[in-house]
Amino acid sequence: MLLQLNKISKWVQSGGQKVFLLKDIDLWVHEGDFISIMGPSGSGKSTLLNIIGMLDDFNEGEYAFLDESVHTLKEKHRSNLYKQYIGFVFQSYHLIDELTVKENLEMPLLYKKHGGSERKALVADMLDRFNIVGKKDLFPSQLSGGQQQLVGIARALIANPKLILADEPTGNLNSKQGEEIMEIFKELNNEGVTIIQVTHSEKNTSYGSRIINLLDGEVV
Amino acid sequence: MIRNYFKIIWRSIIREKQFTFLNILGLTIGITSCFIIGLYVYDEITYDTFHEKGERIYRINQSHIWGDWNDQYASTGPNVAVALKKDTPEFEEITRILSVGAQTMRRKNNAKEANIFKEEKSFLAEENFLDVFSFEFVNGNVQTALKEPMSMVITEKTAVRYFGNEDPIGKQLEVRETDGSWNTFTVTAVLANVPNNSHLQFDILISLNTIKERLQNDNWLWAWTGFSTYGVVKEGTNIEALTNKIQLIPPKWASLTTERLFNQPYDEFTDGKEWKLYLQPLKEIYLSDSPGSHLFGPTGKPQFVKLFTAIGILILFLCSINFMNLSTARSSKRAKEVGIRKVLGSERRSLIKQFVLESTIFVAAGTLLGLLLAQLSLSGFNAIADKQLSFIQLLINPIFIGVIILFILLLGIIAGSYPAFYLSAFRPIETLKGKVTSVFKGKNLRNGLVVFQFTISIALIICAFFVQKQLAYTSSMDLGLVKNNVLQIHNIEQLGDKVETLKAKLEANASFTHIGRSYGIPPNVWSGDKYRAFGPENPALHFTDVRTEGDFLDVLGVEFIAGRNFDPERTPDKYGVVLNEEAVKVLGWGEKENYAQDSPIGKYVAMTTESADKMEVLGVVKDFNFSSTKEKIGPLIILHQDNDWVWNYGRGRTFLAARIDPNIINNSGDLQELIEEVQEEMAQMDPSVLFEYSFMDQEFEETFRSEQRMATVLNIFTLLALIIACLGLFGLAAFSAEQRTKELGIRKVLGAKFSELAMLFSSEFTKLVLISVLLASPIAYLLVDEWLTDFAYRTPIDIWVFGVASLLAVVVTIITVSFQTIKVSRTNPIDSLRTE
Repeated sequence: MLLQLNKISKWVQSGGQKVFLLKDIDLWVHEGDFISIMGPSGSGKSTLLNIIGMLDDFNEGEYAFLDESVHTLKEKHRSNLYKQYIGFVFQSYHLIDELTVKENLEMPLLYKKHGGSERKALVADMLDRFNIVGKKDLFPSQLSGGQQQLVGIARALIANPKLILADEPTGNLNSKQGEEIMEIFKELNNEGVTIIQVTHSEKNTSYGSRIINLLDGEVV
Repeated sequence: MIRNYFKIIWRSIIREKQFTFLNILGLTIGITSCFIIGLYVYDEITYDTFHEKGERIYRINQSHIWGDWNDQYASTGPNVAVALKKDTPEFEEITRILSVGAQTMRRKNNAKEANIFKEEKSFLAEENFLDVFSFEFVNGNVQTALKEPMSMVITEKTAVRYFGNEDPIGKQLEVRETDGSWNTFTVTAVLANVPNNSHLQFDILISLNTIKERLQNDNWLWAWTGFSTYGVVKEGTNIEALTNKIQLIPPKWASLTTERLFNQPYDEFTDGKEWKLYLQPLKEIYLSDSPGSHLFGPTGKPQFVKLFTAIGILILFLCSINFMNLSTARSSKRAKEVGIRKVLGSERRSLIKQFVLESTIFVAAGTLLGLLLAQLSLSGFNAIADKQLSFIQLLINPIFIGVIILFILLLGIIAGSYPAFYLSAFRPIETLKGKVTSVFKGKNLRNGLVVFQFTISIALIICAFFVQKQLAYTSSMDLGLVKNNVLQIHNIEQLGDKVETLKAKLEANASFTHIGRSYGIPPNVWSGDKYRAFGPENPALHFTDVRTEGDFLDVLGVEFIAGRNFDPERTPDKYGVVLNEEAVKVLGWGEKENYAQDSPIGKYVAMTTESADKMEVLGVVKDFNFSSTKEKIGPLIILHQDNDWVWNYGRGRTFLAARIDPNIINNSGDLQELIEEVQEEMAQMDPSVLFEYSFMDQEFEETFRSEQRMATVLNIFTLLALIIACLGLFGLAAFSAEQRTKELGIRKVLGAKFSELAMLFSSEFTKLVLISVLLASPIAYLLVDEWLTDFAYRTPIDIWVFGVASLLAVVVTIITVSFQTIKVSRTNPIDSLRTE
């Protein structure tokens, strides 16, 4: 078991009333799963993903990641935990504009305090693997959307995470680029990486093994 | 990691050139001004700190016995020193100096005309003067340099002037006496040039023993108040006790003078007032309000020092605020980067480190550029402020370097920490979603800072306005005389009896309408004495007096309101006097309106000695400014130049004043020719007399030179403060424009017009500036009101000036903001809304 959510709820106060963003979510994720979270706008997909990624808090329930209960951890431990095991891929890529492709890839390694030569080797591996060696000295603004997302995925993978969280990874891409990205996810999953993606697209869910449908914060 | 930080910093500097430029420019301007002001203030407050015995040196001041007895007077009679030497063993040394004013000098046996110079700064100094003060010796014997009569100590530059590379010791210099003869002095020592930061400025010291006989005459010794007396107290002396002790000296010693000179016993002379002696520490002499000036060198203006310290601190504040404001505003742009870094595992601490490092690098860059710019603009500032500041030697001063580093770290940390703590506290997902930009707080803080900046700038603008207004007012006010077109020829006394010939020659020149000789010329009429309405029962009063002839009063164009001018045809006029209105009033003879019933004409005034003869009042002139226009016009008694009843002090300088006919001489070329003509006339009569001239209107301007200088410096710093404030405003407007893109886009979609958007956007800032105007006006009012108390004639504090300054500020604001206004109002709403 990689992670387990137990009766997770999150709400905000609005006009004296609780408005539930998520309500009583139960979720088990095993290593090697490829899960797609679906649902209309405002159903709580991204919130759920962020909670799994420990980027957001919840109000009620329990969350265990690799048998550690996340909700009781201090920020620093939590940060160490996701630093080590989770990689993020965003709809709008979120690369640092001031850094080149190579430097963007290097960033997570810096925070994990890898040595210089090790960083170089890992970055070179990634560039190689995604076929972007020729782009390594370009800045994000010089790349197409598909290429940027490729870098985003490479960055998520570079620290060798167990889990990749992807929030509408193809949302800003055209269909051909989108397909390419999904193929990569598929391959990664085959290599044993657990993937949870949020998506609007029926087609994208076909790459995954499980689908979770959300409506108004509840699993349906 | 550090390398990564630097990379990011460097690239964001390059990427956001405009922001970087504005931010560093503001900082650089601020640091430059602040630094120059700092140097100026440092220079002012470290005067006279180079004397070895400096801590123990005091100047002995006394009550201003010629004016308000409560004021301190920097000079004393020569016998104060004598009395202190006898009565107060607490002093290790007592020394005194006497300024001899300007004198004409030449090298003996080398009477080429080129070698005659006017020496403005010569003192007579007592033997031990160079024991008390540590002026650096270059050549000669310290112990004996000022011992013998007719010996002279000169500074290096003076030595070069007369002797070039020759060794001057033992060589002779000649000084021209009033009667045209030459007195020979022997050079006994050479001193290094007197440092700029000394309140004593001299080129030549003459041994006081040269005038030994004149110092024996008891009649004078407490009334000849041209001396500065300095004492070195013994180590561990209780100054308060000593001050109390020396109060006994004037009553004990001065009576001989008051009795012989004024025919008054001491008690009658003091008339219940206290003739006090004061001990003023050497270091406080230069920058003291009281006494405000002395005869031996420059005095600082404590108000200027305070004003500039305040301006320096304010500018430092302004540029620091600006820097923080711009850094904070821009940091919201960095929110995304912060979010990504956090998602990728960055801890808060390392984010804070990054931001602080970044702002510290900015501050360091701004500071270094500022120092460079300060060095480059220092010579310009020196010219304006009449200073010789330099800071090369400061660069190796560890304290200075420490302060600079401390400043960089402090401002870097403060400016960097706000965005650092603020942004890093956000949950990464919020910053990534762009929530930070829309909720980014601190708007009130930033607005508050802008208001603060503009309050300072506007207050400075208003003050600068009034300073200009006051100076314009004083230079254009009715002086009671016509100051334009008066040429004053100096050194006339040296022509001896050839003066009349010169005068006649000039009178024959059609370019001149009036020519007159005088011993003092406005605005430099200073000498004075005690006079009374004739009769032993009348009180002795202090009057300013000037010796002249009737023609001179014609040159001045003063108006007679009663009686007549001196008439050269009537010999008894030589013992007549002309008074001004104020003098008539002080004598108790009433005001102008009463002259018809009780005319002062034909009444008598006299000196206060018992045997004094009565002098008839011939005429009364309307009050005119004979000294600085800073002061009210005091009582003036105009004596005939040949009046030998009244003692003629010292070597009198005499001037020939000539009124130029502006109809004939109406361009500078003609004027130059005319002056050359006069010079030739004089050279033909006696080539050894130096030809010097000045213009009366310029001399009046000169009395406001320090104010003029202050005004210029104030204008410059006001402008700089305004520029800094505008830079800040510009940055904030850019930031606000970015923040409000969406709002303005929606408004545009809903049909707002360009002008409406522009109005909406700029009103945000105009409001802030208007608040600043409200805050600045009372502050400026108080400052201006305070400053104007220095002047006897003040320009009114008009409301319209405040209005104009406010309008100026608003216009500047609108222009500054307009770049952004135009940008945001023109943007296609689709572009701005698509970013969501």
